[in-house]
Amino acid sequence: MSQNVKSEFSKKSSSVVLENITKIFQQPETGKDFVAVNHINLTINDGEMVTLLGPSGCGKTTTLRMISGFEYPTEGKLMIGGRDVAKVPPNKRGISMVFQSYALFPHMNIWENVAYGLRVAKVGKEELIRRTEAALELMQLKGLESRFPNQLSGGQQQRVALARAVIIEPSVLLFDEPLSNLDAKLRESMRDELRALQKRLGITSLYVTHDQSEAMAISDRVVIMKDGNIMQQGSPTEIYEQPNCRFVAQFIGKANFIEGELKGRDGEAALVEVDGSIIAVPRPGAMPGLNIGDKCCIVVRPESVELSEEEGPLSGVVKRATYYGAKIEYEIERNGQSIIVENYNPQLTKRFEEGDLVSMKLISQCLRVLA
Amino acid sequence: MKKVLALTLTLILVLGMIACGSGKKASSNKLTIYTAFPEVEVINYFNEFEKETGIKIEYNRLSAGEMLTRVEAEKDNPLAALMLGGSTDNYINAVEKGLFEKYQSPELANTPANYLDPTGTWNPIYVGCIAFACNADWFKEKGYEYPTSWEDLLDEKYKGEIIMAHPATSGTAYTVLATLIQLMGEDAAWDYLDKLKVNMKQFTKAGSAAPNAVALGEAAIALTFSHDALQLTPEGYHIELSFPKDGTGYEVGAVALIKNGPADEQENAKKFIDWICSEKGQALYAKYESFRVPTNTKAPVAKGLVTLDQVNVIAYDAVWASNNKKAYCNEFESRIVAKPTE
Amino acid sequence: METGTVSRGKSAARMAKQNGTKSILRQPVLLVAVILTILLLLLFVVYPLAKVLIFSLTDADGGFSLENLISIITTSRYLKVFGRTMLLGLIVAVLATFIGYIFAYTVTRTNVPMKGFLKLIATLPILSPPFVLSLSVIFLFGKQGLITKGIFGITDNDVYGMLSLIVVQTMSFFPIAYLTLSGILESIDASVEDAACNMGANRWKTFWTVTLPLSLPGIISGALLVFIQSLEDFSNPATIGGSYTTLSIEVYNIITGTYDMRKGSVLAILLLVPALTAFLLNKYWVNKKSFVTVTGKPTQARKMINEPHIKWPLFIFCILVAAVILLFYGTVIYGSFVKTWGVDFSLTLEQYQRALRFGLDSLWTSMILAVISAIIGGLLGMIIAYITAKRNYYGKRFIEVSSVLMFALPGTVLGISYILGFNTPPLLLTGTGLILVIVFVFRNMPVAIESGTTTLLQIDNSIEEASTILGADSGYSFRRITLPLLRNSFFSGIVYSFTKAITAVSAVIFLVSPSWTLITSKIYGLFDLAKFGQAAAFVTMMIVILLVFIGIFNRLIQWLLAPRSRVPSLKSRSEGVK
Repeated sequence: MSQNVKSEFSKKSSSVVLENITKIFQQPETGKDFVAVNHINLTINDGEMVTLLGPSGCGKTTTLRMISGFEYPTEGKLMIGGRDVAKVPPNKRGISMVFQSYALFPHMNIWENVAYGLRVAKVGKEELIRRTEAALELMQLKGLESRFPNQLSGGQQQRVALARAVIIEPSVLLFDEPLSNLDAKLRESMRDELRALQKRLGITSLYVTHDQSEAMAISDRVVIMKDGNIMQQGSPTEIYEQPNCRFVAQFIGKANFIEGELKGRDGEAALVEVDGSIIAVPRPGAMPGLNIGDKCCIVVRPESVELSEEEGPLSGVVKRATYYGAKIEYEIERNGQSIIVENYNPQLTKRFEEGDLVSMKLISQCLRVLA
Repeated sequence: MKKVLALTLTLILVLGMIACGSGKKASSNKLTIYTAFPEVEVINYFNEFEKETGIKIEYNRLSAGEMLTRVEAEKDNPLAALMLGGSTDNYINAVEKGLFEKYQSPELANTPANYLDPTGTWNPIYVGCIAFACNADWFKEKGYEYPTSWEDLLDEKYKGEIIMAHPATSGTAYTVLATLIQLMGEDAAWDYLDKLKVNMKQFTKAGSAAPNAVALGEAAIALTFSHDALQLTPEGYHIELSFPKDGTGYEVGAVALIKNGPADEQENAKKFIDWICSEKGQALYAKYESFRVPTNTKAPVAKGLVTLDQVNVIAYDAVWASNNKKAYCNEFESRIVAKPTE
Repeated sequence: METGTVSRGKSAARMAKQNGTKSILRQPVLLVAVILTILLLLLFVVYPLAKVLIFSLTDADGGFSLENLISIITTSRYLKVFGRTMLLGLIVAVLATFIGYIFAYTVTRTNVPMKGFLKLIATLPILSPPFVLSLSVIFLFGKQGLITKGIFGITDNDVYGMLSLIVVQTMSFFPIAYLTLSGILESIDASVEDAACNMGANRWKTFWTVTLPLSLPGIISGALLVFIQSLEDFSNPATIGGSYTTLSIEVYNIITGTYDMRKGSVLAILLLVPALTAFLLNKYWVNKKSFVTVTGKPTQARKMINEPHIKWPLFIFCILVAAVILLFYGTVIYGSFVKTWGVDFSLTLEQYQRALRFGLDSLWTSMILAVISAIIGGLLGMIIAYITAKRNYYGKRFIEVSSVLMFALPGTVLGISYILGFNTPPLLLTGTGLILVIVFVFRNMPVAIESGTTTLLQIDNSIEEASTILGADSGYSFRRITLPLLRNSFFSGIVYSFTKAITAVSAVIFLVSPSWTLITSKIYGLFDLAKFGQAAAFVTMMIVILLVFIGIFNRLIQWLLAPRSRVPSLKSRSEGVK
């Protein structure tokens, strides 16, 4: 089957380049201007899956909509497959999109929903039927053709939306939070299915989400946005392990910040003074904008802390201990600051109760230093 | 969806063809008339005319005021050649506005001079006087005599039983008002109307609503033209007329040539005016029971119809009435209608 | 985030609009639609209106004069009439919207029996010339009334006046509210209400907190349309208003009674002010509160309310209203079979024989013109709703405002404006059937527009965007996606346009020509002669024909725009199935 299916979706994908793209809206209430996207540069390579990740209002959806053509950039240059698309309307861009709400046509059955793009393109009847059936098969929708969208389950609806989007062999496929309407279990399986499909078809894809685990799981590259600006971009590993600012560190996974002062370097390692004692951070990262003597913080992931009863330089009191099965999450209070600590495999380690005095040992290989 | 588009386009096309096809046929065998005569009545005259001359008449029926408004609005390119029917009141106003071409039929020789247009523009074709149109059933039931003077109408037994139209909307009602003013003098007329208002059911908008109300028994007495009231009797309504002995007004109905009307219809239009003013044309009122009194004295009068010489008519001054219409109507509104009854 | 104002000199509002305009410019089909619509509105709305406005502000010699305007404003009587007109409009708008809402809710939300009948009843009153209801009121409640005299023996009942006017207008116009509201109630996503229900809200609370707020745009639209109709209505105040004079009556009086076309026109144009104000308020409101419930995220089919304590009171209310309407229409139908109303009630078919002999061709003319104008008006209404509901560009306000003007203008003056505008070459249209079609289209379209707009505001943009991104241009999206989703509104719009066209009175007095005589002019003429039976016969025939046509329209629209459920396969195709 997969051989057959693959041939139905010949590779037509292409790269997307955003140069200095800016979008300014007018706020309806105040009439004031609002910069939704602020001079961003972004390249999505051919066949790559890039995720725009950020809190709501960060400009990720606006960016997606500018690529789709539903919004026009106030400034900047937008290229798809090497072609400047500034003057190209959405229906001529050769791209496709999966909507948050799926946007299935309620008055058409599944077959017609999927075939819609081909009908628009006036594809010959034989080909229309062949390709539609292939797409239905690809998305495991066989047997549901004559149903209407409201007769399907959420996952099936999602598949219809996908089938409808890929059938036109788009050069770029856009996803606007496509999984946010599904329940958690289904979301994970659809996520994997979607990633598998994207890899198989090799379509250049841009995926917008505010769910960081989804972003990590699905992308070749994650782009983190905040207030219209790109904060950081890189592979999921880079983003998690080498955050370049507190926002990214906090947004991807959980992070504790222990405030201190950068005292000096010891080769690769950074020496940070925290409460009078020096902590050596062997792989502090790039430490953008940090000089010796500056205030800084050590980024501590919750899983990079080991708790013990022994005395140590970093100690605190357990304020909360939450048992999750796979892990226990502790909230430790130290000098008025809460530090989140996650202890995996709780069956193997000592467990602490609320009120216990503990000392925290930081796993130094996992620490990073940020301004 | 192409189906919808195709359907719409086809419809538009068909319509266009119909519209073009029957728009304007350049033939001199046609005559277009705006008329205020009731359609069921006028169609008889038109059929007779067509039978006799072979000229095909196309017409629209409007109320007299609407007819005048339409002629005025269309004056840059009138679509009709003749304005037929409706009282001279409208015609006098139209003459002032320059909407008519002068034409006097030679057949007017047998028409009394007091009906004629001093400006020589329109042609009088019928007369009818103001009457008390009474619901015969009501009077029979109550055992009352029909009123025979304006004073009789003030009797409190008629409280809420008298109906007339509003002078501002109805030529008939204005004739009543002008009659009263000419008959009694201005101040006395207003005083009289003040008292009459107590017995008044309503001032209707349409002139025809007053006799209709009497026909349906909504009111007992309507102040209206005799022919308008009697026209309802063939329908089966029991209406009988009485007239004020102390004098009543009358209307003259007219026909006139619209200025710059369709050029190819001018001759036909004059032919029609001559024909309707002629003895033959005037005899049709009697033939078709229209209850209008012919202006041509040679024409026969319908049986049972009251002619002006049987009633005490005042020397009604139509020109004066027309010229003062706006002022009196306004006064009527503010002095009579708007004033609350106690 | 707010990064302050942009340094460049453009104002933000202008920029937003320019953005919208730019996006329109990139879509040729849409651009053509917008330009064509604007041209049509300029030609058939603005131009004749400007003509009549200029005309009313000149004196007989052609010089500019404000005399008429000043005399109207300074006459206290006109102010009083103005106040009465507004009062009537408000009362009728509230009552009619209330009844319309209950009907719409009952039909769309509960599983009461006889739904088809209720739907029919809710459209019946617009199926006949408006004065017919007035006539029925007189027949039933007048001095010789079947009910007042016949049943209660009351002979001094005065039916003329404000109360009757309110009843008759409410009955006549509630269908407009119903049509707008049923469309919107239908399109509110069932899951939204179900969600409220699942969260523990009872029916009443669900209605109060979810359904009602979501249908607010429809309520306002409906009330507005009724309000404007009441202001503009001529026939009912003329027949049953008694001494309760309204502005449109006053306009008619001035024009045809005192032969002062200019002054009457000024007054008519002043009548546009409250109507337009109401309209703009509505636009502001509805746009502020835009509710999207058709998201394209499919939901389960609606579960109808079955609780007896909800459904039966609603049902009884609807049945009572239906009974009143049936009584009115029954009276008319009965009237068409009696010899002389009020005098001789013996049954006869005479009226029909006479009516057919006298007006068959006018009936046919009316029918053809109404069908054509309804289809054009319905489509154009949907197109205008489509190009105005969710887009912003230069000229949009113009389209919105101008498309409603002819709806609010008293018919008498509308007729005059068309004569003034289209009586001389090159725009010579008077005397043709085309001018009637155009008048009908532009006069009756706003109901289609309003109903289309309120439905569109409920449909999530992404549905159309999905179509666009799959390659469809705006024309294709409109035909394949928007119009089918609008099919209920489309149907309402067509039905309204059709019936209004066939029952129009005051607007066409000056526009009918000998070759294009409409049946309503004939019926109106029959009233003058108290030939009520014959008039009733015509009305009865019209109702029957209208019902047939509405049935046909319904089938046609369902056939053209119905959901696609066919699954093509190569096999069936090779066998030659279409």
